[in-house]
Amino acid sequence: MLVRKFLVIEPEKCTGCRICELVCCFHHTKEFNPKRARIAVLRDEEAGINIPMVCQQCEIPLCEEACPTGATYRDEKTGAILIDEEKCIGCRMCIYACPFGGPSIDPFTMMTIKCDLCGGNPQCAKYCPRKAVEYLKADRVGIMRKKVSAEKISKMITQGVVY
Amino acid sequence: MFSYKGYKGTYLRVDLSTNQIQKEALPESLARDYLGGTGFCAKIIWDEADVKTGPLKPENRLIFATGPVTGAFFTPAGRFVIAAKSPLTGIWGESHSGGHWGPELKYAGYDFIIFQGKSNKPVYLYVEDEHVELREAGHLWGKNTKETIKIIREELGDDTVKVACIGPAGENLVRFASVLVDFYRAAGRAGMGAVMGAKNLKAVAVRGTGSVEVADPETYMEVVDDAFHKITTGEWGEACESSLGMYGTPNLVTAVNAIGRLPTKNHWTGFFEAAEKIGPDILRKNYRVTRESCFTCGIQCKYISRIEKGPYKNTWTGGPEFESIMALGSNCLNDDVELVIYANMLCNLYGMDTISVGKAISFALECHEKGILSRKDADDVDLAWGNADAIITLTHKIAKREGIGNVLAEGVKRAAEIIGKGAERYAVQVKGMEASGQDPRAQQSVGLTYAISCRGADHLRALSSLEELGFVETIEKRFGKDKVKEIQNLLSTTHKALVIKDVEDLYAIVDSLLVCKYGTMWPPVYYFDDFARLIPPLTGMKEYGDPRHLRMVAERICNLRRAFNIREGMAKKDDVLHPRFIEEPMPSGPAKGYVCNLEPMLNEYYDLREWDKETGLIPRKTLEKVGLKDISDQLERMKKLP
Repeated sequence: MLVRKFLVIEPEKCTGCRICELVCCFHHTKEFNPKRARIAVLRDEEAGINIPMVCQQCEIPLCEEACPTGATYRDEKTGAILIDEEKCIGCRMCIYACPFGGPSIDPFTMMTIKCDLCGGNPQCAKYCPRKAVEYLKADRVGIMRKKVSAEKISKMITQGVVY
Repeated sequence: MFSYKGYKGTYLRVDLSTNQIQKEALPESLARDYLGGTGFCAKIIWDEADVKTGPLKPENRLIFATGPVTGAFFTPAGRFVIAAKSPLTGIWGESHSGGHWGPELKYAGYDFIIFQGKSNKPVYLYVEDEHVELREAGHLWGKNTKETIKIIREELGDDTVKVACIGPAGENLVRFASVLVDFYRAAGRAGMGAVMGAKNLKAVAVRGTGSVEVADPETYMEVVDDAFHKITTGEWGEACESSLGMYGTPNLVTAVNAIGRLPTKNHWTGFFEAAEKIGPDILRKNYRVTRESCFTCGIQCKYISRIEKGPYKNTWTGGPEFESIMALGSNCLNDDVELVIYANMLCNLYGMDTISVGKAISFALECHEKGILSRKDADDVDLAWGNADAIITLTHKIAKREGIGNVLAEGVKRAAEIIGKGAERYAVQVKGMEASGQDPRAQQSVGLTYAISCRGADHLRALSSLEELGFVETIEKRFGKDKVKEIQNLLSTTHKALVIKDVEDLYAIVDSLLVCKYGTMWPPVYYFDDFARLIPPLTGMKEYGDPRHLRMVAERICNLRRAFNIREGMAKKDDVLHPRFIEEPMPSGPAKGYVCNLEPMLNEYYDLREWDKETGLIPRKTLEKVGLKDISDQLERMKKLP
């Protein structure tokens, strides 16, 4: 069986360069426009906090449940939740249903857009210089987060808190 | 529809005297002939200002400009330029900033904004795509840059609005007031903040939802992808990450002190014995909180510092960068890194150039040492070298133009004229701009850089890192194997004019496209051939595929900025160095005993530029060769041709 891969975010590595936004929108539209990207880095510039937010391709996708026309469906190859443009009426119900802000409105077409994992080669993960966004197999996801915590704990033990 | 991609094809003209905002079409010839950024600004300010234009008068033009690559994922290219006639120097003024503001202006639909006139009350400009309005800023006047950005975001109800603003220093017309962007990025030098203050313009806030399109998306992405890998992986990736990535620009503190070129005690020497105490390791270990990045940069050299306890408790600020550490640290004989971080924060909040502030303070300290400036003259501040109270108090006083601060806020050249008594001997400047963080005695080429830079004694228009940081292969590739030995020798003047002219041309393109100096100056990753591959698929302007064409446009821009300065009265007499670098042998460090031998480099440079060696003026045929016949006609009418 093919093990699915997921986009995994590590906000502590993100520097807010927004390369992910630009390669995402370019992949989908052949233009550079962060407002048309499927991923967005939420930034508190004063505090230096940067958090990339993107669809988590949930196992129980509320967007799919909320969709009145059955336009959302899971891609068998990648496991991504996709939107069938023929069926989508742009009612935004999926946007309201999603707890993470996964789907959004393309300000150019006014239709709903969301992460499609670029068909299995997500550009955000490919270009992120800090590996703050990675595309990992399911079994690696939990271990990776455990490793991040373990590294922090070992640093705290050996040197005090280091940022 | 604009013929070339990369550009938006529209610019804004804002007349602050009449509150008129016009959307105008970008002339195609401007894009073709001047590329963008500094090139655009040079042409527009040449045309619209003249010798009678007072830098702080309504008639001065103030331009915020992007380039064709802004917002189009070339790394590192998150920058924009602010240009005007400089109130510090009275000549060509330009200052660049990173952050996310420049790309946002492109997404809002504009290549640049020209401000002219003066508002009768404080205002700020808000640009949201098609919607452009001048808004009341009376409630922002007097607020520091951090407060200003926060209030503007709050009242616009959008915390993603990008804001470039001035603080109290700009309002008070401090001649080296800066423009702060997104909290911690700054267009520092040449006093662009004072030009905003003089126009009653507190801030420019932008938000955009549009796109930047490129001429040939497929080819363009191939080129950009190559560039991205070149700068983030392999040898260059390692060079960037181990220095700029790990430490940011503070990495230079150790590197330049090792060659005896770290300005110390108001440029008295180039070697600071306590450099380690203000160096990269201590900053990284004890104060660095988080790493930051400008828009779509793969190098990511920015960081935030925090001081948790002690007298500077609760300090939280971007940087400090190398130049700030030098100016407020070694240059003031201050080895307290916490004081450096704190003073750097004050400069950012007031909106002042850290280099000029540090140099103004060190000027006062040395004048005091030499008995020219008494404690009484300095409002009872103890002007002892390294004294924390002096550094902090003078910073406040300069920003507020209080007492001695009112004199220092004029910049060291004017301050020395006001003080008299031979104070000019300690005013380390060229053309009115305080020298930046280099010493020409330890690296001869820096002398030429300072003497010919179009904005005065500064590193960002024409500094070579090739010999400074030892990029031997790059020297060989660019100038030939036979020249490697001499160019590599920091203390030799041979071939240095060739190197400086070459990097000055390169940076003219870099500053027009707009790309960062990291990746071009240090480390020297991109060169003319890289940009020749980039510009045609970006813009569709095929002629830019030939590096010779790029060099010609670069020379056009350099000559036009020079012509601007000539029109203001500059000539060979102004292409000089402060006597300290020429007459006082370096007293300590690795370059001990050396002075800068400017003359042979300057003569060779004039030859390479095909400028007149007697006068420093530009002959007609040189101007015509780079397509500036109209400029030569105008200079001839003013009797400014050799």
